[in-house]
Amino acid sequence: MMKLNKMAWRTLARNKRRSLITSFSVAFGILLAVTFTGSGDYSYTSMIDTSAVMGFGHVSVEAAGYNDRPGLARRLTEAGVVRKTALGLPRVAGAYARIMGQAMFAAGAKSVGGVFMAIDPQLEKPLHNFFLRSIVKGRLFDDTNGRGAVVGAGMAVKLNLRLGKKVIVTVTDKNGQLTSELTRVCGIFKTGDDSVDSGMVLLPLGRMRRVLNYGPDDATLVAVYVNDLRQVKGVRTLLAAKLDHKADLEILPWQETQPDLAGLIAVDRLFNYLLQFLVGLVIAAGILNTMLMSVLERTREFGIMMAVGMTPRQVVGLVLIESFWLGVLGLLLGVILTAPWFVYMSRVGIDLSRHIGQDYSAGGVLVDPVMKLRLYKESALVILFAAFGLTMAAGVYPAIRAGRTMPVESLLNS
Amino acid sequence: MQNAPIVQLEKVSKVYQQGQVEVKAVDNFDLTVRAGEFSVLCGPSGSGKTTILNLIGALDAPSSGRVCLEGQNLAELNRGRLSRLRRDRIGFVFQFYNLIPVLTAFENAEFVLSLQNVPAAERRKRVMAVLREVGMADYVDRRPDELSGGQQQRIAIARAVVSEPAIVLADEPTANVDSAAADRILDLMAQLNREKGVTFLFSTHDQRVMDRARRLIRLRDGRLEADEHRDR
Repeated sequence: MMKLNKMAWRTLARNKRRSLITSFSVAFGILLAVTFTGSGDYSYTSMIDTSAVMGFGHVSVEAAGYNDRPGLARRLTEAGVVRKTALGLPRVAGAYARIMGQAMFAAGAKSVGGVFMAIDPQLEKPLHNFFLRSIVKGRLFDDTNGRGAVVGAGMAVKLNLRLGKKVIVTVTDKNGQLTSELTRVCGIFKTGDDSVDSGMVLLPLGRMRRVLNYGPDDATLVAVYVNDLRQVKGVRTLLAAKLDHKADLEILPWQETQPDLAGLIAVDRLFNYLLQFLVGLVIAAGILNTMLMSVLERTREFGIMMAVGMTPRQVVGLVLIESFWLGVLGLLLGVILTAPWFVYMSRVGIDLSRHIGQDYSAGGVLVDPVMKLRLYKESALVILFAAFGLTMAAGVYPAIRAGRTMPVESLLNS
Repeated sequence: MQNAPIVQLEKVSKVYQQGQVEVKAVDNFDLTVRAGEFSVLCGPSGSGKTTILNLIGALDAPSSGRVCLEGQNLAELNRGRLSRLRRDRIGFVFQFYNLIPVLTAFENAEFVLSLQNVPAAERRKRVMAVLREVGMADYVDRRPDELSGGQQQRIAIARAVVSEPAIVLADEPTANVDSAAADRILDLMAQLNREKGVTFLFSTHDQRVMDRARRLIRLRDGRLEADEHRDR
């Protein structure tokens, strides 16, 4: 490398202001990319998690065909076996057998249609069940075979329900027969999403199995939860391998059980990337301009270097080394500039509730009104590599220009 | 290899295009420079001195004719090989010194040896020896902008001779230094020629340089006007 490194450093130091401005544009690019990607990673993760804890999980094991045409006739036998199999896998944080279906809820002379989710109160955890976290009055029923019901606040208003009041649940059982069951309100939840609060009821799993004529281990699905969304694919594959002898079920990731949400995220992510690409392009153009200016100003120097024996390739290398160090400097500044911003935004964030309200939902899922940042390690690495790559790429054309310097012309012009 | 031909120009012409007009800077020019010569190309401005130096130095290519350095036809070499040829076989001393501004005096003198990948210890030894010869050993850490014109030119000479090239091409080396500095520079070059056998080819219209030359090649309008060999 001879003195190329030293010469590159001294050239950068010779015009400190320009080098700093160029490095700051790289750093600013990193800050923007972290903000865009981080807010995306945070909001997508938050929305997917919220959607998962509203019933289907990150991975859903269902009776074959249930996802396309949900109905209580389609049930998963041996749900307990499936649940235990899932819990035995690495990276699985929870698995719950649930029955989800449509029902009529009546109290006095009033009735409304809605959705019920039958759960085992002994097994369910608030971490994986949004409704348990959202109980604002009363509590969850204790007995899986009892008559308890936890209704949404909106439904409580519609049916004029209070704690202890009776609610008649009417469903079609597995054989297509209408059947009704008396339940009693033991809790009221409020998620903030009106459509959910006015149309959702939690019921005990054991009792609903009897009401629906299900077997003692039947359910419509087993909702599986992972600690990290990036593990969904791996868990699904492992689960499929373990359950491959069971032909009557399908294992679906959240993208298939929540296609609206998946579509919304895909489109939003695309626009996010497009925006980042355009910002990157503007920053790269700025760096290219600065590098090109720096090269054109030094035509005479390159001419001298080549006159005394430097090869065109070495001159190209010199300018690329300058780009390399500008990139490294930009990365360092970027980390210094972005770290405090990222720490603040990941811990505190910006509360947007005054602008979007507390119950803003997208794709049928509640959105956290506090804008925060969350960055996966892979995303951070991509940003750093992209910023560095962009700086190097911006140096290629100026380097080629420098390598094409004709010594005699540059010396004559000087 | 004393008296072996180093440079051979055969029927060399160089034509520049200036707008619609063709300007013939060198016209059907023949020249042979032998090892150990201390020769001067002289003539009025525009007579083709610098163009001939550029052609010999592989900085420019002739429009017609052949330029050979140590028997190698320069037209047969690509840009990379021409660069290596300049690095290994030619030393340059320019009118405006042309030191690399980001390097110190030592590093400028060392530059060609660095390009040749000479080991650091040997580089240091050879560079310091040459810097002592040119009287610049005490200025090794100075950058070009901290040196006078004469001092810069002495560093340029050190850079040109340190790699022991076949020939040193000096384009108006005394044009931008004062008389005292010019005399010191010429003394130095004459000494290097005499004691180390370095071959010098100057372009100049400085009478002091012409007075010291052992061969005076007079040019006019890109043609050879006279070629005088002197005994000294």
